[in-house]
Amino acid sequence: MAEAAARYWGAYKEFWRLNMLTMIEYKANFFIWLVFSIVYHGVALAAIWIILTKFPSLNGWTRTDVFFLYALWMVGHTLNNTLFFTVGDVPYQVQEGRFDRFLVRPLDTLFQVVSQPGQIWPDEFIMALIVFGIAQNFVHLEWSPIVVVLVASTVLGGSIIDAAVQLVVATLSFWVVRLDALRWVVMSLENDFTRFPLSMYNRAVRIILGYVFPFAFMNYFPATVLLHKTADSAQFNPALGWLTPAVAAVWTLAALAFWRTGLNRYQSTGS
Amino acid sequence: MNVEAYVEFAKRAFSREGTYRFQVFSKIGSVLLRVFLLSTLWTNLYRANGTQAGITLDAMITYVVIALLLDIVYGVNGAYVVREKIREGSIAIDFMRPISVPLYVFADTLGQTGFALLQCIPALVLSAFIVHIQAPVSPLALAGFVGAVGIGFVVNYFIDLIMATITFWTMEIFGVQIMVQFIASLLSGSLVPLYFFPQGWIQDVLLASPFAALYNAPLSIWIGKYQGIQIVQALGMQAVWAALFGAFAIWLWRVGERKVVIQGG
Repeated sequence: MAEAAARYWGAYKEFWRLNMLTMIEYKANFFIWLVFSIVYHGVALAAIWIILTKFPSLNGWTRTDVFFLYALWMVGHTLNNTLFFTVGDVPYQVQEGRFDRFLVRPLDTLFQVVSQPGQIWPDEFIMALIVFGIAQNFVHLEWSPIVVVLVASTVLGGSIIDAAVQLVVATLSFWVVRLDALRWVVMSLENDFTRFPLSMYNRAVRIILGYVFPFAFMNYFPATVLLHKTADSAQFNPALGWLTPAVAAVWTLAALAFWRTGLNRYQSTGS
Repeated sequence: MNVEAYVEFAKRAFSREGTYRFQVFSKIGSVLLRVFLLSTLWTNLYRANGTQAGITLDAMITYVVIALLLDIVYGVNGAYVVREKIREGSIAIDFMRPISVPLYVFADTLGQTGFALLQCIPALVLSAFIVHIQAPVSPLALAGFVGAVGIGFVVNYFIDLIMATITFWTMEIFGVQIMVQFIASLLSGSLVPLYFFPQGWIQDVLLASPFAALYNAPLSIWIGKYQGIQIVQALGMQAVWAALFGAFAIWLWRVGERKVVIQGG
């Protein structure tokens, strides 16, 4: 057991060493993707800023509150991008037959999926921490041990919720060849519709984002607690803000079970 | 020029797209989901803040739906194959064939776009069950809208072709390409109508920009922001951008082609 753990840890360290080497080797690429991240989040924040300038009344949420909401999501999301980004490559690898190489190697298949050396760098995550630092200053977040625990568990749990949902979608590729449109829907649910407080949507949307794809646990529910949004607490139980790690645990177990089912099917039919 | 061959390319692209049924259904499903989500968001924003920039809630929801349909149409990136061909080097073989690669790609894009337009019909009809969609204000507006989408398609094709052609010089263009897409999504009025941007020179510049030729022009015509002579002006502006991008794309392609033929890549 300890020997196996050491083997995995060694492989994982090697994976990060290779990532860092690619960063040094492909400086131009690193730079392009860094600018890309800045543009991506810049466009999102600009759109929010423009909308909220024209439509300032938002159920008691100010522009800086919504900025904080985005920053909180961004930290969890980019942590997922740093640790589990390659889960999203599975559909293409299955489609092109490149997935099978994972099956013949003596390490866990999922471990190999998340440790494929690529151009994965923590630059976006570091950027998210900076954005979060600015945002928490804007909203004058009052730090206390409890707030630290809530923020940390939201970020960690949020990144795992993100990863578990991506894994469920990726697993579907064992049944369906072209998944791009579905992946795009889920991505857009997460990236585009977590930008505004959930209380701005009607009941059906709240159910989708709260409970079907629980992205609201990545930012909205904890933010209502952190920012003392009493108007929102009247509509949602404030205890939900503390449940991000629990939701993450349930989703992880379900996603792993689904992944194993899909993998078994893929191996047994050989198609 | 062998027109029949290009017609055949377009037909092939059309039927190739039709083979991915799940993709088609999930694309329509994703539009409906977004229509639903965005309409509830805008409804609540309007309820709390009232009408802004002369765009009523009904007009705004119509704007959102049609913008999502345009996403399907402009989302076709036929020039993508050019990038792959240059990367793999198979572009050299295409140069020996009795066809023009940009024209082949244009035909292929046209075929794919034809299929995308077909998907827009059920997406529009089903959206009409979820939200109230305003019809174009007049037959002239409808005709202007169709024309604006046509020219927008040409501008979009040339932008994609220019991006793909840059692969002759640098292989890593993918990141830059999506970056341009994201910037365009904001500056074209596809995410937020340009009328909501800060008034003054920012809005004036954006309304005249090539990005506005993609989304703002057809959408403004549909919801009646542009009327009468303004429709003609908008179409004229789009045509200018189409001509400029077209000229640049063809020039760039020639230079790239010569580079491969003389230096061998």
